[in-house]
Amino acid sequence: MYLEEQVPTAVAAPELEWALPRHPGALETALRFIRRKPLGAFGFLIVFFMIAMTIGTPKAEFGVPSLPSRPLGFELGQPWMARYEVERQFKDPVSGRLVQFEAPSWKHWLGVDKAGRDTWARIVYGARRSLFVGLWALALATAVGTTIGVVSGFFRGWFDTAMQRLMDALQSFPPLITLILIISINPLTSGPSLTVAAFALGFVGITSVQRIVRGVVLSTREQPYVEAARVVGATDLRTMVYHILPNITAAIIVVFSIGLGAVILAEAALGFIVPQFVPQDPSWGLMLNEGRAVMLDHPWLAVFSGSAIALAVLGFNLAGDALRDVLDPRLRLG
Amino acid sequence: MQQYILRRMFLNLIVIFFVATMVFGALRIDSDHVVRNRAQACTLDTYEGCVKAAREELGLDRSLPVQFGDYMWKLVRLDLGDSFFNKAPVLDQIKDRAGPSIELGLLQIIVAMVVALPVGIISAIRQDSWIDYILRIFAIALLGIPVFVLAVFTILATARYAGDIGLGFLNDWLGPHITWVDFFDNPVENLKRMTGPALLGGLGTGAIIMRFLRSQMLEVLRQDYVRTAWAKGLRERVVVFRHALKNALIPVLTVVGLLLGGIVSGNVILETLYNIPGIGFYATASIVQGDYPVVQGIVLSVAVTLVFVNLLIDVAYAWLDPRIRYG
Repeated sequence: MYLEEQVPTAVAAPELEWALPRHPGALETALRFIRRKPLGAFGFLIVFFMIAMTIGTPKAEFGVPSLPSRPLGFELGQPWMARYEVERQFKDPVSGRLVQFEAPSWKHWLGVDKAGRDTWARIVYGARRSLFVGLWALALATAVGTTIGVVSGFFRGWFDTAMQRLMDALQSFPPLITLILIISINPLTSGPSLTVAAFALGFVGITSVQRIVRGVVLSTREQPYVEAARVVGATDLRTMVYHILPNITAAIIVVFSIGLGAVILAEAALGFIVPQFVPQDPSWGLMLNEGRAVMLDHPWLAVFSGSAIALAVLGFNLAGDALRDVLDPRLRLG
Repeated sequence: MQQYILRRMFLNLIVIFFVATMVFGALRIDSDHVVRNRAQACTLDTYEGCVKAAREELGLDRSLPVQFGDYMWKLVRLDLGDSFFNKAPVLDQIKDRAGPSIELGLLQIIVAMVVALPVGIISAIRQDSWIDYILRIFAIALLGIPVFVLAVFTILATARYAGDIGLGFLNDWLGPHITWVDFFDNPVENLKRMTGPALLGGLGTGAIIMRFLRSQMLEVLRQDYVRTAWAKGLRERVVVFRHALKNALIPVLTVVGLLLGGIVSGNVILETLYNIPGIGFYATASIVQGDYPVVQGIVLSVAVTLVFVNLLIDVAYAWLDPRIRYG
């Protein structure tokens, strides 16, 4: 439509700028996303809330990253949303006895657990563990899975065949049994460790990441620009890093965001099914396990920790699905 | 076709070899804690003597290649070894526990298909209507809620609250039972124990299948032969069921095959929650105890089952859809 308007003025290039489609601002993009994908926006709301839960004042202790108290190299202090200290045990001011299994009240929004600790504070603290274990695990899965997928899809041939059979073998383990197996053999550290748990979760995720990445690479490598790169004389490594990798970024982002929900779910499942193999600091899976034991008399702990897991997984799934529809609808499966 | 099956069989054997090697290697990374556990119970004078005796007893004193060779040679003769703890042959124990697991898996697939078929079809032929939206939101919610959270909530609701509103019988059908009854001894009592886990696991799987079936149906409904069927003036029922559904269902088969691993995983949790003496429950218990031969045996038998069921599905695929030819 603007073509016919620009005909009389089509002399100097700078004047044409108005004729180009306007680049929408960030706010406009966000609003359009909310309007077109209301469920996805709801998912992002949950995700942002969960991220907000993890924020705490950094302490001045720098050191080797460990999970989850030092996810970035410095120690994170008390989460600001928690209201109370995580390990604080509440006592009745009159009798001096522990307050156990109290129902939700204004003082304790989600009640109190067996040891007299505030459930809301522990849920907030548990978000940190879920999120950081998920991020580390998925970083591992994505890095290794992308490498395998790109190399395997790019070269094809015997390497691809051998690699895919190996991946088939890994995939024919039921994932949860593999996870429990890996965290039960624990030669590096003496006790349960979140680093091992994150490694195990990442390891299990490699197969699905590489399968999706390989599929995308198989179609990308047939594109004219890859052929052009080869004609110009680019090495295989250069073609993979500079020509294929940038063109599958959307797929990688989508895989990452959809995988997060699955990893958070698996981490909670581990705490729920084999509590003795995971570290005992606050975690939603452990809380659900504790709550289940007493739920017939005191249902609140099970209800709230279960809801936290379900909401988080739901949020990440919705956000990931919406992101996929926007970025790379080819990856849709059902 | 025969060539294809033979080649796939060969590839499957390679996959199974990989699985056997990996599970063997994983369990040998740190075998010390099993030996230490075992040594604590012995009555010899010195601790070192105990450790040595325990190592010999478990066969862990031999070098790794010898252990591996022994393991592989036994495997070829379908001998999965004996349990470290009760000394019974692993294969027999797996056979005993396979029944409930297979029953649970089949029931779940039946529930999943019974839910997914009508819901997927309605959602596709009434695309973007309010009923489509409601069904899809329901499916997304089911996908988002982990099966163990759903199970805990169901048990809580039936055991604590259902009796108050006069639905006490629900607890009998959906809640966990303490004892186990085999299907062939008393089918009704057995089904009472199975309904809960079968429904919970089946609904989650059904949600995935429903979403896939819906998108397949939408694609098939846009095909030329469906338009021809409409143009001939056929009734909606005939078009939807005979022309569209038949073709949309074939890819669904593959998805069911891919979901089997997830079903086994989900059942690890459901079997523990519902006191069902199946493979998943046994696997967790053995890993916790450090009973290596049992763990190896279970992982291997599950892997073999999955690999060959998927081959079977791929063969059935070609048989159902003559357009597909494997070369």
